[in-house]
Amino acid sequence: MERLLNIDRRIVYLAIFLGVCLPYLFSFVELPVTITADVRRIYDKIDSLEEGATVMVSFDYGPSSKPELQPMALAILRHCFSKNVKVVGVTLVTEGVGLANSAMETAAAEFDREYGRDYSFLGFKAGGAILVLNLGQDLQGTFKADLKGTSTSEMEVTRNIHSLKDFDYVIDLAAGFPGIEEWIAYGQERYRFTFGAGCTAVMAPDFYPFLQSGQLNGLIGGLAGAAEYETLIGRKAKAMGGMQAQSVAHLIIIAFILLGNAVYFLTRSPRKTSP
Amino acid sequence: MSRDGIFFVGFLVAFAAVNAFLLSTGALAASWIGFGTILAAGLTLALYSFLYKDNPVFKAAEHLYVGVVAAYELSLVWYQNILVDVFNPLFRPPEGAGPKWLVLVPAFLGLFLMTRIFGRWIWLSRISFAFFVGLGAGLAIPRRIASFVLQQIEPSIRPLSIDIASLGWGVLNPPIILLGVVSVLVYFYFSVEHTGVVGGISKVGIYFLMVSFGASFGYTVMARISLLIGRVNFLLEDWLNLSPPIF
Repeated sequence: MERLLNIDRRIVYLAIFLGVCLPYLFSFVELPVTITADVRRIYDKIDSLEEGATVMVSFDYGPSSKPELQPMALAILRHCFSKNVKVVGVTLVTEGVGLANSAMETAAAEFDREYGRDYSFLGFKAGGAILVLNLGQDLQGTFKADLKGTSTSEMEVTRNIHSLKDFDYVIDLAAGFPGIEEWIAYGQERYRFTFGAGCTAVMAPDFYPFLQSGQLNGLIGGLAGAAEYETLIGRKAKAMGGMQAQSVAHLIIIAFILLGNAVYFLTRSPRKTSP
Repeated sequence: MSRDGIFFVGFLVAFAAVNAFLLSTGALAASWIGFGTILAAGLTLALYSFLYKDNPVFKAAEHLYVGVVAAYELSLVWYQNILVDVFNPLFRPPEGAGPKWLVLVPAFLGLFLMTRIFGRWIWLSRISFAFFVGLGAGLAIPRRIASFVLQQIEPSIRPLSIDIASLGWGVLNPPIILLGVVSVLVYFYFSVEHTGVVGGISKVGIYFLMVSFGASFGYTVMARISLLIGRVNFLLEDWLNLSPPIF
C-alpha cells in the first residue's frame, strides 16, 4: 500500500503516453461530441453572414499551442470559405505568422479561393494592445501592405475596410498575452464590433464572464471546442481525431486520482482522540 | 558506463536506425523536408527526455529553441516593423514625398532603451520608460476599468430582474452567480473577523473558489494532454508515416 502512495512519477507519464497512443494503434468506437451553446453561437454567426461579408481572424498563438488552436483555425477558415465569406488575417505575436499563413493557404486551396480577392494575411506588427487600437482607428494606415507587400488600399479584400468596425465579425484565436483581453478592452469595447474567441483550454475558464456580459458572442475552448466546430461544419479532422486520445488520457488520470485517494484513506493512521 | 549513459547511446542508435529505415523505404523523403521532419522528431524526443530526468540532450534542445526563437523574432520584427515603419519612411520614401522626420521620435525612444547596456548613457533610457509608463497607464486604466470592472458588474446584477418564467433551469444561474460573487468578496474582506454570519458566508466563498480551482485544473489537464496528442500525432503520422489505427 505504501509503495502505491509513492509511485514513481515516470510510471504515471508512461501510462498517459501509452493511453494517448492507444487510439492511434487500435480502432476505437467513436465517442459522441456534444455541441455547446458557446461554440454554436460562433458557428451560427458565421453561418448567418451573407456572401461577400468580411471576417477578421487574429491568430495570436505559436507552435506551443498549435495542437489546440490550429485545428480550430482551420475549421473556422473552412466554414468561412465554404460560405464565400472573405477573411483578413492578422497576428499580434511573432510566432503566429507561419502558422496563420499555413492555415489560410491550406483552407483557401481546398475551396479554390484567390489571395487578395477572397482573403489576405496582413502579418505581424509589434504593439499588442496598441496595435488593436491602431487597427480600429486606421487599418490601412497601420498595415500599409500585407505580408506579401501588396498595398491594403488596393487589394480587393481590404479596399473598403478602414477600421475594425467595418468587419462583419472579428474572431481572436489566442494562447495568452496579447490576446482576447486586449481585443476586448481595446477593440470590442471601443469599436463595438461582434466578437468571438477561441483559446487554449487552460485559458477558457477565465473568459466565461465575458460571455455573460456579451463582450464575447461565443467561445471555443481547447481541442474539445475545436472538435465541436469540426462536427458542426461536418468535416472531421485533427481535433476529432485527438478527442479519443483525450478521453483515454482523462480516464487514466481519473483512475490515478481515485487510486491515490483510496490508498491514502486506507493507509492513513486513525485520528487521535483527545483524552 | 553508467545506466543513463547506456540509455543515451541506445536512444541515439535506435533513433539513427529508425531514420535510416524510413529513408531507405521512402517513408521519409531524402530532401530538406525529410531532414526537417527528422530534426523535429529528434528535438521532440529530446525535450520529452526531461520526463525521465534532466540530461544534456534536453539542455541542448532547450538552448537551441531559445536561440532559434530569438533569431526568428528578430528577423520578423526587422522586416515587418523596423524596415517598413522606420527605415523606408526615412531613407526610401515614396516618389514625390520627402522623408518622414516624425518617425525619428519613436525610433530614438526605442534606441534610448538600448542605452541600458552602456552605464554612462543609462539615464536616456529613463525618458523612454517614462513615456511607456505614461502611455500605458493612460491607455490601460480607463479601458480596463470599463471592460473588466464596470461591464462585469452589470450582468452580475441584471439577470435577477429577468422574467423568471421564460428561463427554465437557467433561472438558477443568476442567483448562483450573485451568491458566488458576494461570498468570495466576503472571503477576501479581512477588516472583519470571519466568525458567525460572516464566517459562514466566507466558507461558502471558499467552496466557490474550490470549484473554480477544480474547473481550472480540469481545463489545464485537457490543454496539456492536447499538446501531447499533437506531438504523438506528429511522431506517428508525419515522422513514422503510420496511418492510424494501425491494428
